[in-house]
Amino acid sequence: MESLNRRAVLRGAAGAALPLPFLNLMQSRAADQDSPPPMRFLTLFKPNGVHPPSWNISGGAEHDFRMSPLMQPFSKHREDLLILDNMGDFGFSSHANSTRRFLSGHHQNTRTASIDQLIADHIRGDTPHRSLELTTEGLFPNQIGCSYISYDQQGAPIPRESDPQLVFDRLFRSPLNDPGQRQSMRSLLDRVGEDARTLQRRAGREDRETLDQYLSVVRDTEKRLQTLQSRGAVINPRELVRPERPANLNEQVETMIDLICLALWTDSTRCATYMLGNSNSRMIFDFLGIKKQHHYLSHFFRNFSRENLDSLLKISLWHMQKFDYLLTRLKSFSNQHGTLLDHTLVLYGSGMGHSDNHTVTRIPIVLAGGRGLIRTGRYVRYSENQPLCRLHLSLLHKFGIESDSYAQNSTPLAGLDASDYAAWQDQAFASWIREEGGKLVVRGRLRMSDNLDEAKLFYVDVDGAESVLVEVSFNDFHHFNVAYHCGTAVTLTGTGPTGERKITKIESLESLFGHRPGDAPG
Amino acid sequence: MNSFSFRPCFAFGVLRWPAGRTVLTAVSLCALCAVSRASDPVDDVAGLIRKYCVECHRSPDPRGELDLATVLQGPHDEFFAVWEDVADRLRHREMPPADAVQPAEAERRAVLDWYSTSYVPSLKPRPGSMRPRRLSAVEYRNTMRSLFGFDLEVSVIEAEQTVSEKSLVLKLLPTEPPGRSGFRNDTHTAPLTTVLWEQYSYLADAAIAEMFSSDRRPELLKRLRVSDEADVESDDAEAFLQEFVQRAFRRSLTSEQMAPFVQLAGESAPLSEMQIAMKRILMAPQFLYRGFLSDHSRPGPQRVDAWELAERLSYFLWADMPDAELFEVAATGELADFNELRRQINRMVDSPSSITLATDFAHQWLTLGEVEKNNVEIPQAEALRSQPRDFMHDLFVSDRPLTELIDSRTAFVNPFTRGYYGDDARQMTKYRKAAGIEVEIVPNQKIVLEQTAERGGILTMPGILAMNQGPIIRGVWILERILGEELPEPPPNVGQVPPPAAGETLTFRERFEQHRSNSTCAVCHDRIDPIGFSLQRYEGARYAAESTADTSGRLPSGETFADFQELKRILVTSQRRRVIRNIVNQTLSYAISRRPAAGDQAAIEQITDQLTNNAGTYRELLFQVASSMPFQQTDIPEVAPISEEGDQ
Repeated sequence: MESLNRRAVLRGAAGAALPLPFLNLMQSRAADQDSPPPMRFLTLFKPNGVHPPSWNISGGAEHDFRMSPLMQPFSKHREDLLILDNMGDFGFSSHANSTRRFLSGHHQNTRTASIDQLIADHIRGDTPHRSLELTTEGLFPNQIGCSYISYDQQGAPIPRESDPQLVFDRLFRSPLNDPGQRQSMRSLLDRVGEDARTLQRRAGREDRETLDQYLSVVRDTEKRLQTLQSRGAVINPRELVRPERPANLNEQVETMIDLICLALWTDSTRCATYMLGNSNSRMIFDFLGIKKQHHYLSHFFRNFSRENLDSLLKISLWHMQKFDYLLTRLKSFSNQHGTLLDHTLVLYGSGMGHSDNHTVTRIPIVLAGGRGLIRTGRYVRYSENQPLCRLHLSLLHKFGIESDSYAQNSTPLAGLDASDYAAWQDQAFASWIREEGGKLVVRGRLRMSDNLDEAKLFYVDVDGAESVLVEVSFNDFHHFNVAYHCGTAVTLTGTGPTGERKITKIESLESLFGHRPGDAPG
Repeated sequence: MNSFSFRPCFAFGVLRWPAGRTVLTAVSLCALCAVSRASDPVDDVAGLIRKYCVECHRSPDPRGELDLATVLQGPHDEFFAVWEDVADRLRHREMPPADAVQPAEAERRAVLDWYSTSYVPSLKPRPGSMRPRRLSAVEYRNTMRSLFGFDLEVSVIEAEQTVSEKSLVLKLLPTEPPGRSGFRNDTHTAPLTTVLWEQYSYLADAAIAEMFSSDRRPELLKRLRVSDEADVESDDAEAFLQEFVQRAFRRSLTSEQMAPFVQLAGESAPLSEMQIAMKRILMAPQFLYRGFLSDHSRPGPQRVDAWELAERLSYFLWADMPDAELFEVAATGELADFNELRRQINRMVDSPSSITLATDFAHQWLTLGEVEKNNVEIPQAEALRSQPRDFMHDLFVSDRPLTELIDSRTAFVNPFTRGYYGDDARQMTKYRKAAGIEVEIVPNQKIVLEQTAERGGILTMPGILAMNQGPIIRGVWILERILGEELPEPPPNVGQVPPPAAGETLTFRERFEQHRSNSTCAVCHDRIDPIGFSLQRYEGARYAAESTADTSGRLPSGETFADFQELKRILVTSQRRRVIRNIVNQTLSYAISRRPAAGDQAAIEQITDQLTNNAGTYRELLFQVASSMPFQQTDIPEVAPISEEGDQ
């Protein structure tokens, strides 16, 4: 035992801790198992949306696409990813609503469980922990819904845990699963029982009553210990080194990701949700050298400066790096049946797309792993926006839950596996530009400027011609939901300075495929 | 109850209410017993008890083993606990039982008033015995912090407008319900459970693990006085444990007392045996409870020993274990000297740890937790919550006169509350928030109220007004929390104040006045309503200068006032002693972490007189309480004989 405590500890770049010999131990032990491992479900939530031009894949086909700048940290996992585009269906959404919708299909679906909980119930088997609900920060009482993605059968929020040591202890140090813990508790009970009886010999009547109460708790605890039996555990939890207290957010998150992987690998649980922060997060990423609040920076249109945008992108990039860290860790556990990632379906994403005007289309959604359930190595762009509840219904089906509908939706999402989704694909279209009565009418694919100094500029790309610049007020940007249309084929009518290919005032904006976004708030 | 002595020599029929309001002591009772004036039964407390209670509560088979017929014969000092119980049950309408004949409201009131204004002040001083009691969650957190030198923290990222529990102790331990004293440090009614046991065990493990973590390793080696882990010998570990166990048990121990906790078995490495020994100390009754280590060899009333006095003082002023200096003056015996006691109190109030007088004591006394329930928006809620906290802390630290609780020219204001303070808020230095911060919690600044007559003191603090919505809740709160009245529960089936009849155009206030014409309601509402309605120009937290609401009223004492300002004047002049008595009673209850008993009442009266006659201040209050008999003395019971079945 003593030598185990002094074990070399593998420290990641930022100092998260996993015991080094443990990895080898797991590979050899788990290799003995004949039956294929169970499928797990894991969710990683990124708060506060994205800067769309940095996240979106512009153009590209299902098997022929280029990862966007923000995807670079996890581009090495390309073959394990299924990137979904044009997910979400509301015009705009509050932080709280978009957060509820992330795993619950619809923000008004407040009386039933989120899908992670339904899946957890279905797949838990005899694992000691039904599920883990994790986060990094406290509660946001001004809009409490920003703090939760997991909801129980009544639709009530499930408390989340942020402390890796507490999670480790719950998983691996409770008397429930640790015979060593039971042994030391038993000898402790003997000793304190003695201490209490010594006091009793010289106590008054009332003192003795209090000591009697103390001793009866000691006896009850002893009895309870006797009834505990170890399950056929894969590992001896004593061989795991308790993580040390993290010094900053990065260490905290990496340690927690280590623990999630350990929990899945040891089959302590099969389902976990982890929020990298509250939606609306006021967090300050001081360890990245940033002094401004994440939420403030996420409103990059209104609070525009190049410095602010750079800070926002640094934060988003860090979120993506944690996704990479998770995938890398999951792959590091393997046996003859494949890696832990093969047997875990990972859902990564955010509750909103454009983080300034809270557009709830083109929400970042990436699936990973889940061998046999989904087909990875693909980029699937739907021509018409797909409500999240469709994805959720499909995921329920993938995990074997026979459900006709979820969140009042009964259409599963096509295209996650080999299924045909041609009906949802973009069609070829002709692009052009015309002048009609002093107005510019242009048809083409709308995109945000790739230049980071131009967060307020948009272009409509026209085949064989110079792109048309769109530079409008925040009012127009918001009113016509320009962010919603980004990435799609549009017909745009507007006015601008004479003689320039530039629109400064929008008159109408319509998508060529799919339905209009409407202005439904959600 | 069968041990009651039977003294048939006097009757109880002379206790009168309200005529003359004679203060009847037990002695005067005896003297008057020959003069039987059992006239109006409403005036006759003993008659009332006979009329409504004795039928069941009498020999040979008294209900609940309570023979009130015997109790009525005295001696009344002996039966304090019984009378306290009778008053409690009358107040909460637990007695007489619902199916029995009920006393009229005025009759119920008459017994309660006799109890509090005549009987209680008549009791003889006598030290109480302190039952061992478990540390409250807050005390446990602070004690662990002092013992280990670090806080047990939850890993959670903190951000503006976000609520996180940073203390691992407060996250894991349940908050105790208030005990009979009204305070959570009175833990007698919150017993140890197996769930609590497991949390204590977990917290002890967490603290020990943190102490042995690599970050704290150098600190640990320093405490062990070695330069390398490999050099740690059993002797080093034992020396460490000797110091640790004495601090943990908060007193100096004999080597015999210490032996089980510090001797290592020598079977494995000293460092790992040391961890096992520390866990035993942290789970021992002597650590988890206060009061197990008093010396029972010399039973009877006596001064508490120096260690217990130091412990009482530190949990009173800091909700924490004594620090090195307090241990030192306990060891030398200096603490027994009242000059030294005063010096220690001043030192301790000056320490940042005395914030618990505001966050724990005043917080519970004035129900400040309710402020948050009305407004969860951060930072507005935090602004309202921090005002009474900073104000109460200032009363102690700046040693203000007691009545400044009600009448003060000091306010603590931040940008979210400045709107309540008119031009006085101009005294504040300008607040500028940093770029990229949307909203943030801003510390209060202390200002002097020169023009804002409608503010100042706890009663008109925005958070308090917003927490107590409506005249009735405001009136009850002031009666109970400021004047120390214990109002009975409203009678069952009394219903609501009826809505105005069709065509009737009574104001809210007039409807209440009509309601008071019902004598059942009037018993309490004559007291509640005038006080509550005096604040009608405060709409929520806001003062409506333009309001024409009728705020005049008449107290049961006959004093009249036109508005709240005049009522406030009455509270700090003719009602001053009542206010101070309540402050004393609340402070003493918290200080001794139990409800004051019969023998403590004399001390309350005496301290109240002292502070009332000498323009007492908050530090003087702390000194008077800490030097009083209930705080300084104890009644140590005899060692009880060991029974055979008690323990296996």
